[in-house]
Amino acid sequence: MNVGVAHSEVNPNTRVMNSRGIWLTYLLLTVVLHVILLSIPFFTVPLVWTLTNVIHNLVMYLFLHTVKGTPFETPDQGKARLLTHWEQMDYGVQFTSSRKFLTISPIVLYILASFYTKYDPTHFLINTSSLLSVLLPKLPQFHGVRIFGINKY
Amino acid sequence: STTPDDETVCVYVVITLYFPAPAYHLILEGILILWIIRLLFSKTYKLHETYKLTEKEKEDLIEEWQPEPLVPLASKDCLSLNYDVVTGPPSHKIIINGKECINFASFNFLGLLDNERVKEKALASLKKYGVGTCGPRGFYGTFDVHLELESRLAKFMKTEEAIIYSYGFATIASAIPAYSKRGDIIFVDEAACFSIQKGLQASRSFIKYFKHNDMEDLERLLKEQELEDQKNPRKARVTRKFIVVEGLYMNTADICPLPELVKLKYKYKVRIFLEESLSFGVLGEYGRGVTEHFGVDIDDIDLISANMENAIASIGGFCCGRSFVIDHQRLSGQGYCFSASLPPMLAAAAIEALNIMEEDPDIFAILRKKSEHIHKALQGISGLKLVGEPFAPARHLQLERSTGSRESDMQLLRSIVDQCLEGHVALTLARYLDREERILPPPSEAIPAHTGRGRGTPWTGRPPIAVPTFQQTLTLQTI
Repeated sequence: MNVGVAHSEVNPNTRVMNSRGIWLTYLLLTVVLHVILLSIPFFTVPLVWTLTNVIHNLVMYLFLHTVKGTPFETPDQGKARLLTHWEQMDYGVQFTSSRKFLTISPIVLYILASFYTKYDPTHFLINTSSLLSVLLPKLPQFHGVRIFGINKY
Repeated sequence: STTPDDETVCVYVVITLYFPAPAYHLILEGILILWIIRLLFSKTYKLHETYKLTEKEKEDLIEEWQPEPLVPLASKDCLSLNYDVVTGPPSHKIIINGKECINFASFNFLGLLDNERVKEKALASLKKYGVGTCGPRGFYGTFDVHLELESRLAKFMKTEEAIIYSYGFATIASAIPAYSKRGDIIFVDEAACFSIQKGLQASRSFIKYFKHNDMEDLERLLKEQELEDQKNPRKARVTRKFIVVEGLYMNTADICPLPELVKLKYKYKVRIFLEESLSFGVLGEYGRGVTEHFGVDIDDIDLISANMENAIASIGGFCCGRSFVIDHQRLSGQGYCFSASLPPMLAAAAIEALNIMEEDPDIFAILRKKSEHIHKALQGISGLKLVGEPFAPARHLQLERSTGSRESDMQLLRSIVDQCLEGHVALTLARYLDREERILPPPSEAIPAHTGRGRGTPWTGRPPIAVPTFQQTLTLQTI
């Protein structure tokens, strides 16, 4: 999907992660977040890495795994009303390149954060739980699953 | 230009940094790295895609399947293959198959079809704009007459805004799915007309039918839903609920109990969509329809839809209500967005029709009087049952006792219609797509009434040859 070009996608959410430059934009935004955090005085390097990791994962959790439906009116009478963006991606096909990319990126960020926090146990706990919150919902086994009916409607 | 020394320093630094890493951490990272590698080599697949049928299931399915012909066989005397051809304008008299008849067959209630003023305006518009618009409203299909007609309709109905569609059938069929989506609930009267049924189908919502005009049955359904909602308030919060009713029912010619519906609306927090194709320009002191008839505040109805193909004698349809509601259709009403807009000529004709309706509100009283007159006159025909409100502008005549099958009933009614045609009276058979209707109404003949106005003088024709079956009708019309 290219921005500004007519498309015939019923639900543009399914393709938005495949549009040109979106991966780069995502990476740049993460770097910008990190640089902004680094520029704040009194923030130590380990703290900044943990913050980058946690904020990144929170935002990812919110946009990919919490918000349901589409921001626009789709002509399919609201087929995706109860699906998160992650579930809508590529019409629900598993292990597509965008899905792989978005799964690997938080892992890489986590490894970097672990390295720069010098494996401190507190940071480890925070970073790991935050990582799991975005990794588990991405598993095919959790596709469409709402534990205890949380966020079902 | 790194020297071997630099590399060893790098390796050393990395090792010393990793060295303090606890074992659990190293294991976790190892697992994560393995996961990445596995991910990179995983093949894409679709979830829930394959359901493997067993051999027996396959056999059963093949056994069950009955091949159908691509085009179903139709007998030579099939109704849809034998048209009655109309020549000349279908006003009070209609020329069917070369024979002049009294017109009891079209929905031109106010006689605006052959109104000189309407014709003049339409012709002037034709000369100015040409015939079509060749574009949907969003793509240079919006002409000044469309905007004028919309504001005039809104003013006439005393609502904030109106939106016009280029096809009457598509109006309610587009309006319903514009608001009601998957997961929403629509409560609808069993007798709802075909265009409503198509709208319901397109909405993909849950449809709950209540018995025709039975408010107790509707309340039972609403109560059931209320209990369901209390069990699952989160779901209830994102579920929209609608009641869809017709003002005057096309299939039964009776009126909906609007005041009770409004009460239920506020009690159970549902929205009301009212389809007024038969009642707009007919009921009420000024022809505003069922709301005026009952004295119900029009703001209590969330959406009113009507077509302009009956009383207004143009083409197309409109929806009216609050701007907040109506505006939504400008991007979501499929019939509005994706059809070429209404020909300006027809919009101009509709505006002139509204002018006439506003200038001379007496026509509604006359129509009502005539309707009641016809209703009275048609009663007591042996073997036939009259269905509908006395003040309804169209009514149904049904057989008192079925002759055994729908086909033979239709044949009998058809022969009555044919005999009436012989006697220069044009009636029509109510036609349904038998397989597509949810509840097939009983076979009947639809009989619309006319005001007899619009041609300057009330109609006084010569008395046609009387046919025993419809003698009353005929004597009535010659009064």
